[in-house]
Order: sequence, then C-alpha cells, then structure tokens
Amino acid sequence: MAVMRLGYAHVRVTDLAEAKDHYANTMGLYETLSEGNKVYYKAWDEWDHHSVVLEEGGVGLVKYGWKVQYSSDIDEIEKKAQTFGVTVERMSKGENPEIGDGIRFTTPSDHVFEIYHEATLIGTEVGTHNPDAFPRHLVGVGVPALDHSLITAEDPGMMDRFLSDVFGFYATERVQTSLDDDADIIATWMTNSIQIHQLAVLAGPQGKLHHFAFRLADWTEVGRAADLFSMDDVPIDIGPTRHGITRGQTVYFFDPSGNRNEVFSGGYLAYPDRPMHVWTPDALGKGVFYHARELNDAFTSVLT
Amino acid sequence: MPTVTIHPTGEVIYLEPGETVLSGLYKAGFAYTVGCRRGGCAICKVDCRSGQFRYDHPVADTVLTEDEHLDGTCLTCRAVPDTDITIELRGENVRLVNTFLHMINDKARQRAEANAAARLMAGTTPKEQ
Repeated sequence: MAVMRLGYAHVRVTDLAEAKDHYANTMGLYETLSEGNKVYYKAWDEWDHHSVVLEEGGVGLVKYGWKVQYSSDIDEIEKKAQTFGVTVERMSKGENPEIGDGIRFTTPSDHVFEIYHEATLIGTEVGTHNPDAFPRHLVGVGVPALDHSLITAEDPGMMDRFLSDVFGFYATERVQTSLDDDADIIATWMTNSIQIHQLAVLAGPQGKLHHFAFRLADWTEVGRAADLFSMDDVPIDIGPTRHGITRGQTVYFFDPSGNRNEVFSGGYLAYPDRPMHVWTPDALGKGVFYHARELNDAFTSVLT
Repeated sequence: MPTVTIHPTGEVIYLEPGETVLSGLYKAGFAYTVGCRRGGCAICKVDCRSGQFRYDHPVADTVLTEDEHLDGTCLTCRAVPDTDITIELRGENVRLVNTFLHMINDKARQRAEANAAARLMAGTTPKEQ
C-alpha cells in the first residue's frame, strides 16, 4: 500500500465566516489553525493536523492531499506519475502548515494532488489510552473523519488508468456505456484498501469538484445528520437515501459557498480480487439513488 | 419593496426587504431548476430584462464572468433586487408547486401596491412616514 488515504481536501469558500460556522458548528470539525485567509480543521477520530482546509476567495477545489505509508512511496509515485506523462514538482515541508516534504502534480483531470508522508500528529479526541467510543461533547453532526471525494473529468477512463498506474488503486465499481469489454467508462469508483472508494471520477468538465464526503457509522447517524441540516438551514441536495453503487447510505448537501458535501455510511468491504460491479447507463438512476431510482439533472450538472 | 415580474407569463412576485430572487420565487410557490442555492454552482442563472439588483454575497469568478456581471445575467440565489425587476428563465418556465404560498404572496403584493398608492395620494414617501 502506497497511498493510505485522502489526507486533506482543500476547498475555496466565498465567505469564510459562514463556512467556519458550517464546518465547525454543523459538521463538528475542530479548528486546528487559522492563518491568513485559510482555516484548517480535523475531525474527532482523525489524528493528523488537518483534513479539511478552507480558503476564502472563490468556490471549488484547490487541491487534495494524499498521505502515503512510507516516505519512499513519494519517490515511487513521482516515478510512476512521470512515466504516465505528468509533470511533477517537489513540495517542501511547511508549504502546507504541519505537512512534510512531498510532490505535487496536476492530474489528467486538471485536479491538483499533493503526496506527502509526514503530518503533525495531534491525536484523536478520545486518545489512545483506554479510549472511549466517542467524545462526550460532540458538536452538530460530529463527523469522525473525511472519507472520500468525487471529481469530474472529461475522460474518466484516463483517470481510471492514472489512478491504477500511479496510485495502485483498483476500481470497485464502474458505470460503462455497455457491458462490452471495450465499453467507455462513464464513472469509476476507486480504492486501494478495503474502503469501498477513496476517489470516484464521473464524466464531466475538467477540474471540477462534485463532492467530498465525511464518514458516519450507520443509517441512524445519517438520518440525524439530515435532521441537523434542516435545523441549520443547510440545503439538502438529496437524501437520506442509499446508493446502489457502493450500497452506501447518504445525504448530499451544500456548504454555504455551494460546495457539495456528503455524509456517507455503510457500503461493503472492498478487496482487489472481488469482482467489480458494472453498471449500465439505463440503471444509473438506481445505481446513484437506490430508492428514487431516478437520476436528476442537478446531480450530474451541479459542480463547483 | 421590489417585485419580480416573470417574462413572458407576466406573473408578479412580491419580495420581502433583502430577499433574493430565488427565495422570493420559492416563497411565492414557484420552482425551477436550482442547485446549491448558495451561489456556487451557477445553475439558477436567469436573464434580467429590466431593473437593478445586487449580490448579497461575494460571487466567485468561476460562477459569474466579468461579462455576465454586465449583460443582465442574474444568479438568482444571491441576487437581491434594488428595484422592480423583470426576469426571463433560460429554456424553461417556472412551475407553480404550492398554490397556498402563491395566494399569500399575491395578497402581500396587493397590500404593498395599495399602501404605495395611498402614500402617493397623500404625497408622502415611505421615508417621510
């Protein structure tokens, strides 16, 4: 395993005060650093310095950080990215607060990825010594961790190959134009662990963010999150519902700048030898919204 | 308070002070294609054919271009009219989805128009009252 997880999602927001209220008081993230026009957050069951970065000025994705298991993994990924044809630059310790040396490149989908191994260890909110199940005084939804993200790209098949070749990811599910071997990929859900997906790529414009998601334990927590979103006047996009794809339970909603967020729970365990689930466009409605079984226009066209 | 006229149907919506176009339409029982409702996704744009409005939040350059700030493009979820405005939707019509809200809004508009007429008769403006 080289890439362990999506370490951080760095997004732009139009109004930092409103965004802070959403991510701190509705989502329950902990602010770890405020510096200039940026604010850094971690969730209660995360131990690294930050997993969400908000930057005032605009909307959409600035970049993702991917944490690797060993420092040598950075060199390996650099070589593989260069072999794929991507220009890689070195990233120095401190370019991101509390993040070590690494590399940075722009993917074929025009998203910026940073690869790093070191991050300042803060610790989870329950600690490591005889830890309790959760912190007693969670705020709002009280999400435990960042989970995954979905981006759009003009060529999801290219990104599938890129994430396979460079990150060692494998696809757990795909939407294809047909069931034929030479079918075009419309969307792909990719991981390199038993987490059902770490990054998904959907056909669409280059460089856009569809959503980034926070992990929850189960249906009850997803339902409670939806209740809190109504209390806090958070625009819900869809849900609570289940995905056919991944089987995850979900609510999609928007932050105060219009970036789509998700709370996600469930899904099955992924393994590289598990046969991939393949969906065809006629079943995409059921694949995305398992209960309504109808894909709405906004879900694929509303991006930041 | 400002009103929003929907071209070409001629429906007139009454807005509360500081209310956005989208909020006004929603509170009058109308719906059309909208996305994030927070100024980020650009799906709710319409064309403003007359009148003036401003945005109640900063709008990202990726959402509205410089030209769109000048050509009458109206990002309805963040647009607050300063004057009565007329809008035209792009490729669709508003849908009346809540007749009760529509009746309430219509009465609010009629009251506002009656008050304005009464002030005109008395030769006063709202600020002088």
